[in-house]
Amino acid sequence: MIHLVFLGKFGDVAPAGLGEIALPTGVHTLGDLQHWLAQREPLLGQAMAATRTRLIVNQCVAHDLSQPIADGDEIAFLPPMSGG
Amino acid sequence: MRVRVTAETFDPQAEIAAFAAGRDDAGALVSFVGTCRAKTGDVAVETLRIDHYPGFSEKEIARLAEETARRFDCPDLLVVHRVGVIHPGEAIVLVAALSIHRANAFKAVESLMDYLKTDAPLWKKESGPQGARWIEPRPEDHARRAKAEEGQR
Repeated sequence: MIHLVFLGKFGDVAPAGLGEIALPTGVHTLGDLQHWLAQREPLLGQAMAATRTRLIVNQCVAHDLSQPIADGDEIAFLPPMSGG
Repeated sequence: MRVRVTAETFDPQAEIAAFAAGRDDAGALVSFVGTCRAKTGDVAVETLRIDHYPGFSEKEIARLAEETARRFDCPDLLVVHRVGVIHPGEAIVLVAALSIHRANAFKAVESLMDYLKTDAPLWKKESGPQGARWIEPRPEDHARRAKAEEGQR
């Protein structure tokens, strides 16, 4: 299983049930996962494509979409931030 | 360094008093409190919701605070940031800095606020009679962040 976290406006369009999923067949990297999500959830895919999306793997910033994903990973999708 | 992310209301004056208590090593204390407005422009705000990513948000805010303290030679910094549902008039964020002389404390607070606006993993959503909308950094927020970074070099 992998754990997915959708923050901010991504949380509004991500359907419930995506929080914990079996690692989909053919998904080996962050890029694969983003592509798989966009195919499966077009609204989420559009929301991510329309803005700068940052990916966090196991609480560490991912700099490269070719980064591999393993069973048990937690992957968070972050839209632009607005603190302060 | 004291960094706290909280879903509870907080009293900025009490936080500042506790932060400053017994600190005779610093000659200056500067603080900033950001509060929830009842309107943004002409749009009424009933509630503000701030989402965070537990664990990661705290870690990133602490990293920004540590960089700021190092850069401006502050013996201590305080950050308290609300998350969850916030009502107009309530404090959203408190940043306070101690330094030997005032100039660095002023600069540290301003710089850290500039970074929090664009780099803290928090997401604001305003709701009111005209609906809800997610807030993203404004161009002036990015400009201030860029200026703060420029000063760092």
